[in-house]
Amino acid sequence: MNINSKKIVPYFLVSPYIIYFLIFIAFPVVFSVVLTFHKWNIISPMQYTGLTNYVHLIHDEFFLKSLGNTLIFLVIHIPLQIIIALFLAEILNQHIKFRGFFRAAFFLPVIVSGVVVTILWQQLYGFDTGLLNRILIFLGLGRVGWLVNPSMAMPSIAIMATWKNVGLYIILFLVGLQTVPKNYYEAADLEGATHWQKFKSITLPMINPTIFMVVVLSTIGGFSLFIEPYIMTGGGPLNSTLSAVLYIYKQGFFYYHMGYSATLGLFFAVLILGVVMFQKKFIEKDK
Amino acid sequence: MIKWWVNIVFLVFFSLFQISCGSRGERNPNHLIYWSSNNTQEIEFARYIVNGWNKKNPSETVSFQPVPEGQSSEEIILAAVVGKTTPDIYSNMWQGDVEDYAHAGVLVALDTLKGFKDFIYSRCDSNVVKEVTSPDGHIYQVPWKINPIMLMYNKKIIHHLGLKNPPQTYSQFDSASEKFKDENIDKDGYVDRWFGYSEVLVTWWQRFFDFYPLYLAASGGAPLVKDYKAAFDNEYAVEVFSFLRNLYANDYFAKERLSTRQDIFLSGTIATRFTGPWEISHANKFKPKGFEFNFTHMPVPDNHKGPVYTYCDPKNIVIFKTCPNAQLAWDFIKNMIEEKNDLMFLKMTNQIPRRKNLETDSLFSDYFKDNPKMIEFARQAKYVKGTDPYPNLTEVFDIISQEYEACVIYGKKSPQKAIDDAAKQVNLLYMK
Repeated sequence: MNINSKKIVPYFLVSPYIIYFLIFIAFPVVFSVVLTFHKWNIISPMQYTGLTNYVHLIHDEFFLKSLGNTLIFLVIHIPLQIIIALFLAEILNQHIKFRGFFRAAFFLPVIVSGVVVTILWQQLYGFDTGLLNRILIFLGLGRVGWLVNPSMAMPSIAIMATWKNVGLYIILFLVGLQTVPKNYYEAADLEGATHWQKFKSITLPMINPTIFMVVVLSTIGGFSLFIEPYIMTGGGPLNSTLSAVLYIYKQGFFYYHMGYSATLGLFFAVLILGVVMFQKKFIEKDK
Repeated sequence: MIKWWVNIVFLVFFSLFQISCGSRGERNPNHLIYWSSNNTQEIEFARYIVNGWNKKNPSETVSFQPVPEGQSSEEIILAAVVGKTTPDIYSNMWQGDVEDYAHAGVLVALDTLKGFKDFIYSRCDSNVVKEVTSPDGHIYQVPWKINPIMLMYNKKIIHHLGLKNPPQTYSQFDSASEKFKDENIDKDGYVDRWFGYSEVLVTWWQRFFDFYPLYLAASGGAPLVKDYKAAFDNEYAVEVFSFLRNLYANDYFAKERLSTRQDIFLSGTIATRFTGPWEISHANKFKPKGFEFNFTHMPVPDNHKGPVYTYCDPKNIVIFKTCPNAQLAWDFIKNMIEEKNDLMFLKMTNQIPRRKNLETDSLFSDYFKDNPKMIEFARQAKYVKGTDPYPNLTEVFDIISQEYEACVIYGKKSPQKAIDDAAKQVNLLYMK
């Protein structure tokens, strides 16, 4: 093999991914940015509209509402998920009976289709006939409008999403917990530290990178909330579960406002990036 | 050595280029491609028609396939339009989409084809022809089949409530609902059975099953949009919102989604529903022993006079401009929708062909004798409307749906205010 072919072969070997990257990632991203300056309904030619889509975005009350809804979801979902996942991981890290069974059981919802889980919870949340309200009635309490009360619908979805995803984060925390050197705990035991003190002073600082990863993954996952409101509520009642991604989808594929949908998508991607960067700085600073 | 690698890379790129830029090439003008709907009965009907045509016309053939599978046939057609891979003939086009495609210039103006106008006036009432005529004066669609929305009711429940007939007016509907509710309040004080149900999602097309047919019924078939302006800011729309709002406010209709459960009509959870003729075969197949049902027109305001209209969910036939021989395509369509083939369509699919005098035409009488429930739909077919020939109807229905949710389901707005707000937004939409 001469010197020239040595130079070319590596390029040839990576070319399948480069081709894939150019066609399915780079081109759509660049095309989306171009679209933000156009009006396009797919079937008619594109019309250049300058910054109109961006101006519309600033004044779009539905988009602001959808951002607010997503924020509500994140505020409930992320802390709830981290606390429950960490708590269960801590228990499952102990030498308890049927540990393997419980680990598998908590992970099971993660691998079940999101659509199936959503339909199942829709039945549980039923206002008139759902199991949860049946139990409340049996206990002599009133019914809760899980999905029909505008102020309850998003928290209900957040609870369901937590149930669905918590297994994944339990596994991540378990991995983190198992990397903490045992001798730290032994030293703490010799000093007479309580379980809480050990958790606060050893476990938490040692699994900080895992916490960061969980926060970032939950945040990105939370921002992309779509299937649950799409299937359960369609964004209702009164737009209280209209998530940002659902709104972007509606603009794009219900009304074929491709330019505006791309503008919303781009803005949203930048927003997620900003939030994740902020989280990174905040958590690293805290460390 | 280098040449060897360069040749391979060149070959790969050239192949990719060829694949991506591939086209159908020159089309044979004597061979057409036809896509039908992808439900089993319509596939069988399309196969029957195409086989018959190809036998009679061996030099001018048609090949057929159902619309490819996707989330919806609308999305597939859109993708085909963008990719310029549309069929020549498509027979499941929702009337409300036609205007958008006509604006985009991808449909053939059928009135420019020889024999179209004469045929269409002999098949359809002038009202129907008017309904499918675009604001530019051309006709881009052949009115083909309809599924009128009517009130389906459980006969035993209606008799049990002491009613001789199903409710026809708003006050009759309210009073029957109240009686039904009184009989079905549980010991716990909650209602577990409802007089009716309509999907509570805000999804725009859900309003085809509640607001829109009720609006057409109340108004005698008035338009929603006229001259690119909202035409529904009137007493009829307000009355419909008031009527529906009352149903939810009094727990006559369920506010929660019941559609993911087993059939709530056949299980007796609800006594009535607004639906179309497709329910007949389903209900006959799955109904419990002794269950009886029938259909009547949509409820109307108490002072209503004249015929009761409804929405008919029209699906029409179009010819795309990619067709190499539009006249031949029209000849094929004409054959497909001639009287005897309409009868075959009715028999095979239980959907109503959109032709005049259906219920009185002797050719169809045997079918209706054998399928007595379908006669209600054939009678109703004289008084149906599709959608108005304006673009952006999806957004119009979405705007109405948003106001519907706020007013009808959650009582956050008065009917008058909700209709006014919806009309303002629709006017704004068409001003853009």
